[in-house]
Amino acid sequence: MKQVLTGNEAAAIAVKLARAKVISAYPITPQTAIVEKLSEFVANGELEAEFVNVESEHSALSVCLGASATGVRTFTATSSQGLALMSEILYVVSGMRFPIVMTNVNRSLSAPLSIWCDQQDSISVRDSGWVQLYCENNQEILDSVIQAYRVAEEMLLPVMVCFDGYILSHTAEPVDVPNQKEVDGFLPPYKLPHLLDPNKPVTMGPVGVPEYYEEFKCMLQEAMLEARRKLAEVDRAFGKRFGRRYGLIERYRSDDADILLLTMGSLSGTAKELIDWYRKRGERVGLVRVRSFRPFPAKELVKTLGNAKAVAVLEKDISVGWTGALFADIAAAFINVRKKPLLMNFICGLGGRDVSPLQIREAIRAAARAAETGEVKKSVRWLGLREKLVGLKA
Amino acid sequence: MKLAPGAVITKPGSSERYDTGSWRYTRPIYADKTPPCNDKCPAGEKVQKYIDLINMGRFKEALETIREDNPFPAVCGRVCYHPCEEACSRDEYDESLGIHHLERFLGDYGISRGYASGAGKKLIPRSSAKIAVVGSGPAGLSCAYHLARRGYQVTVFEALPVVGGMLAIGIPSYRLPKDVLQHEISFIQALEINFKTNARISSLDELKDYQAIFLAVGASMSIKLGISREDAVGVHHGIDLLRALNLGKKVEIGKKVVVVGGGNTAIDCARSSLRLGASVTVIYRRSREEMPATPEEIEGALADGAEIMYLTAPKAVIVTDGKAAGLECIKMRLGEPDASGRRRPIPIEGSEFKLGADMVIVAIGQIPDLSFLPNDVEQQKGRIVVDENGQTSRPGIFAGGDAAGAPERVADAIGSGKRAALAIDCYLRGKAAPAEKKPEVVPFEELNLEYFVPAPRVAMPYLAPKDRVKDFREINLGYTQEMASTEAERCFSCGVCNGCDNCWLFCPDIAVKKLPESRYEIDYDHCKGCGICATECPCRAIEMVSEERE
Amino acid sequence: MKELSEEELLAPGHRACPGCGEALAIRLALKAVGKDVIIAQATGCIEVVTTPYPETAWRVPWIHAAFENVAAVASGVEAALKVMGKHGIKPIAIAGDGGTADIGLQALSGAVERGHNFLYICTDNEAYMNTGIQRSSTTPYGAWTTTTPVGVVKKGKDRPKKDVPAIIAAHGAPYVATASVSYPTDYIEKVKKAMAIEGPTYVHVHCPCPPGWRFDSDKTIEVARLAVLSCAWILYEVEDGVSKVTFNPPKRRPVADYLKLQGRFRHLTDDEIAEIQRMVDERCRRFGIE
Repeated sequence: MKQVLTGNEAAAIAVKLARAKVISAYPITPQTAIVEKLSEFVANGELEAEFVNVESEHSALSVCLGASATGVRTFTATSSQGLALMSEILYVVSGMRFPIVMTNVNRSLSAPLSIWCDQQDSISVRDSGWVQLYCENNQEILDSVIQAYRVAEEMLLPVMVCFDGYILSHTAEPVDVPNQKEVDGFLPPYKLPHLLDPNKPVTMGPVGVPEYYEEFKCMLQEAMLEARRKLAEVDRAFGKRFGRRYGLIERYRSDDADILLLTMGSLSGTAKELIDWYRKRGERVGLVRVRSFRPFPAKELVKTLGNAKAVAVLEKDISVGWTGALFADIAAAFINVRKKPLLMNFICGLGGRDVSPLQIREAIRAAARAAETGEVKKSVRWLGLREKLVGLKA
Repeated sequence: MKLAPGAVITKPGSSERYDTGSWRYTRPIYADKTPPCNDKCPAGEKVQKYIDLINMGRFKEALETIREDNPFPAVCGRVCYHPCEEACSRDEYDESLGIHHLERFLGDYGISRGYASGAGKKLIPRSSAKIAVVGSGPAGLSCAYHLARRGYQVTVFEALPVVGGMLAIGIPSYRLPKDVLQHEISFIQALEINFKTNARISSLDELKDYQAIFLAVGASMSIKLGISREDAVGVHHGIDLLRALNLGKKVEIGKKVVVVGGGNTAIDCARSSLRLGASVTVIYRRSREEMPATPEEIEGALADGAEIMYLTAPKAVIVTDGKAAGLECIKMRLGEPDASGRRRPIPIEGSEFKLGADMVIVAIGQIPDLSFLPNDVEQQKGRIVVDENGQTSRPGIFAGGDAAGAPERVADAIGSGKRAALAIDCYLRGKAAPAEKKPEVVPFEELNLEYFVPAPRVAMPYLAPKDRVKDFREINLGYTQEMASTEAERCFSCGVCNGCDNCWLFCPDIAVKKLPESRYEIDYDHCKGCGICATECPCRAIEMVSEERE
Repeated sequence: MKELSEEELLAPGHRACPGCGEALAIRLALKAVGKDVIIAQATGCIEVVTTPYPETAWRVPWIHAAFENVAAVASGVEAALKVMGKHGIKPIAIAGDGGTADIGLQALSGAVERGHNFLYICTDNEAYMNTGIQRSSTTPYGAWTTTTPVGVVKKGKDRPKKDVPAIIAAHGAPYVATASVSYPTDYIEKVKKAMAIEGPTYVHVHCPCPPGWRFDSDKTIEVARLAVLSCAWILYEVEDGVSKVTFNPPKRRPVADYLKLQGRFRHLTDDEIAEIQRMVDERCRRFGIE
C-alpha cells in the first residue's frame, strides 16, 4: 500500500513490520522521529515490544546486545555524536556476532557542532564489523531495513542501514509499504546458535587470548565477505516477493560510459538527473552507486568501472590526513588490476552543504579533462569550497 | 574443529581442568591437635569429642565415648575435681565449660535409659588368660572393666562385703547417691566379671593361678595425729566413720564436732556431721589456698554451716571423765615451702587455745596396707613402686590407684586402672606396652575468637543450703537435656575440627570439599595456598605447611 | 551454615589471586541465587580471571560486553525476558567499583531510574585492581594506589569514598544494601532478599584485595571483619526509603585496628588516622551507631 512517508517514518514502519521485540534508542537530531514513531506504535499496541528509553546511545546498543543474547529481535537508531558514543559497543556487537539492526541517519560530526547531513559518522566506523548499506530514497530505506534482519540473522552479523539526514529523513516521498503477512513470510522467527538460558548455560564475551583472537577476527572477516553473496541472495528473494531489487551496487547508464560518477546515498538522485542531461547531449557519462559499503563490493565495482576512462568519486566525508574513504577503497580495489580508469576524489556536501548540479558538473568536467590528458593533476578536490576563507589559492 | 562464532564457550565450568594448585608454596592440612581438656583428664577421656557429640544431639554416642576410657561418668560427673575445667581455654575468655556437669548429664542419661556399657560386646575374641584384680575401688573396677571389654576373664577380690571401694564407703551420698553408684557398678558387673567379696588376699601365693595381677588395694589406714590421748573415747578416724555411715550402720555423732584435716575426707566428715545434727568446726594447719579439698566442697561446707579455722593444729586431746572433751590447739604460721612444694606450717609460740568438742574426727590422710606383699614387689614411702603403665618390679604384677601413689583422686585411680589394663593386655600378648605419646595442645592465644560470643556457664541447679543440710539428699540436681545442649555449644573445640564449615565457606577457590560426618578435604589440584581456611578456623585444626616441590 | 546450598556454580581453576575477596563474593552470591539466573558482568578482575577462552569458571548463563555498560546489558536481558514471557528469571548485573561508581555510574543510574527488574551487585575492592591498583572513586581517604601514590607532595587519596549505595537509594530503588564477605550469612540473606523484591535492587559488597590493599592473602576475612567492626564499612539496608543498620558492632573498634592491617595505609600519621576516625564517627552519628 502506497503511503507518503519521510525517511524516518519509513524506517520506523519497517521495524514494526519486522516485529522487533526490544527497541532501545536515545534521541538525536535528525533521528528523533524514528524513536518517537516507534514509541507511538508500542504505546498504541500496534507493536508488541519493550521500548527501553535509555540514558545514552552507548546504553542503547548495550540494551540491544543484552536482549539479542537473550533471544529477541532488536533495533536501535542514531546519528553522528550518538554513533560516535556508541562506537565502542559496535565492535563488541560484531565481535560477539549479534544480529542487531540499526538505522544511522547520516549527520556530520562535531566539532564544529553540526546537525546537518554528511556521511562522516558511519564512514568513520566502517572498520567496526557491521554491514553498511547506504540508501538513495525512502523506499529503499524501508526495504533495506527488512532485508537487513534476514541478512543479519542468517550471517550472525550486525547491519547498519544508513540514510542522509534531512534530505531523506525529513523529506516525504511515496513509499510502497508491504503488508505484515508478506513480511512475516519473508522473515523467519529469530534464532541464534546460543542464547542466555539457564537450561543450557553458556559463557558469552570471554577474554580472547592471543592464542585465539586472530582466528575469531578472521571468522568475522570471512562472514563479512560471505555476506556479499548473502546480500545478493536476500535481495533476490525480496525482489521475488515484493517486486523490488537493489543489488550491492546500482548501475545507472554506466555500460558504455567514458566518465563515471561513483556515489553513495541520496546524492546519487541529484547526480542521476545530471547524467540524463549529459546523455541528452550525447555525452557518454554514467553513474555507479555503492549501496553496500561494507562488505565492499570490489569485484562488482572493478567490473563496472573498469572500462571507463575516468571515475569521479564523490563523497561526503574525508579521512583527515588522506583522501575520502570511498576513494581509498576503490583505489585499493584497482591496485592490482592492469586496466584501470583514472580515479579522482571530490569531497563535497560536508556539514550539510548543498551539493548542486553545478558542483557535480564541475567534477564531471574535471574527470573529462583528466580523461583527455590521461593524467590526474590533483587527486583530491573539494567541491563548493570557498578557498579564500580558508586562505587557499582558488 | 571450527570455533563457535563470537567466542561463545559452551562447556560450563571448564576452568576446572586448569591446575591452579601449581601456584602454591604452602598448603593447608587438616591436623587435629590435642584439646587441653583431653590432655588434662586423668582418665584420658576424649572430652572434646563427647561434647561435640552432645552438640550433634547424639547423646548415646557421647556416653559411649566416655565409656571407651571411663566406666563411671555418673560418678565422676559428681565427685571428680575436674582438672579439665582448669585447662579449658574458655576459662581465659569468659568462663570455663561445665565439663563436669556435662559428664554427669551423660552418665545419668545412661542410667535413666539403662544403657549398659558394651555388655557382651568384646573387642577381641575371648582369651583364655585369667587376671586377678585385688580391690574393687575405682582403680580396680576400671582395670577389670577395660580387660573384660577386651575379652579377658577377670576375677575381682574385695575384702569388704560391698564392691566399690572408696566410692561405696568413702563418699557421702549427698555427693554421690548410692543408687547412682550401684547402677554404674551393675553395668560393669554385666561384663561377666567374677566378683568375690569378703575375700581379703593375705598373700600373692593365693593368686598363682592367674596370668597377671592388678593390685588396687587403696589406702585404707588412717594416719594418726601423734598427739597425746588420741586414743581416748570420742576420738574417731574419718574413714571409719564414713565407712560405717555408708554401710548403713548406726552412727552416734556428738553435738559439737571438731574435724582435723583439710582434704575431702575431712570435709566429707564435716558435712555429714552437720547433717546428723552436730555443729562442726574444721581445723587445718595451713591456709585456705593449700587446702587439698575440692573448692566446691569447702564452699559447700561453709554454706552448710561449718566453721573452718585455718592455720590451726591440734596439740593434745582434752579428756574429761575418760571421754574426749575438746582439743588443745595452737595457731600456725607459714614458713618456707617443704618437699611437697607447700609452705611449711610453723607453730606460733604461746598461741595455744582450747576448743571444746564432744567428738574429734581425725582425717589427716591414709596409707595403704601392703603387709600382704612379697619382698620382690618394690615399695617406697609406703606405696607400691610402678612405672607409668602400672608395671611393678615383678613381671606380671601391676598396681594402681592410691596403693601405687597415684594422686588420691577418683579420676586418677580410674586412669591408672585403664593404663594397667592396656599394659596387661600387651604383656599377655607378648607385646611392648604402648609408649607415651607427646600431645600437641593448642593454646588459647592461637584460637580465632571472632567466632565466639561471651556467654556465662549454664548454672547447675542445686538444693538451697537451708534445705540441703537436713538430710543426705543429693545437693546438685543435674543438667536437663536443654541445659546440657546449651552448655555444650560453648565448647571452643580447641585443635579439633568440629564441622563449623568456615574453611569450606571462605575458600575463594572452591578448593574445600565437604565430606560426610562434618569433615572436609582440600582439593590440592586447585588450592592456591592463600591460607584463609587456616586463619579463619576457630579452633586451629588446620595448619599451613611448606609445599615440597622437586 | 547447614542451610547453605552445597552446589558450586563457580568452578575452581579460575585465575583470581590467592585470597581474592571478590571471587569469594561471587561464589557466595551464586549460593544465594541458585542456577536459574542470567548474569551480565562488567570488565574487571572477575570477568578476566573467570573466562580465559576457551575456559570458563561459570556454570550459569553469563555474558560480558564492556566495562561501563553492564546495567544497560542487564536492562536488555530483562526487557527480552519480559517480552518473551519468561517471568521466573530476574537478571543479575555484577561489576566492580570501577564499573559501578565511575565509568558505569550512568548506565546504572539509567537502569535504576527506568525501574528494570534486576539485581545489581557491586563487588567493591576500592580501586581499579584489574589494571594494576589505580584509584577509583570508592578508594577510601588516605589510601595508597598507583595513581594516588605516597610521595613528598601528595600522600595517598585526598578525597573521601564515594557513597554509591546512597546514590542508588536516592533513586528510589526498592532495596539497597551493603554487605561484607566476612559476614557471609548476612550477605547471602541480603542477596536473596534483593532477588525476591520486584524492581531494581542493589547490593554493595566490600571485598578486600590482598595485592591491592597490601596484606597477606590469608587475612582477607580478618580485614573485611575489622572494617565492619570498626564501622569503616557499615552494614545496612534501605528498604522503600527506610534505612536500617543490620549489624551494630557490640563494641565499636578503633579504625586504627582496621587501618594497621593494610600496607596501603602504612604511611598515615597519627593525625591522619585521627582524621579518618573523625570521618567514621561522623558517619556513625548519621546512622545512629554509638
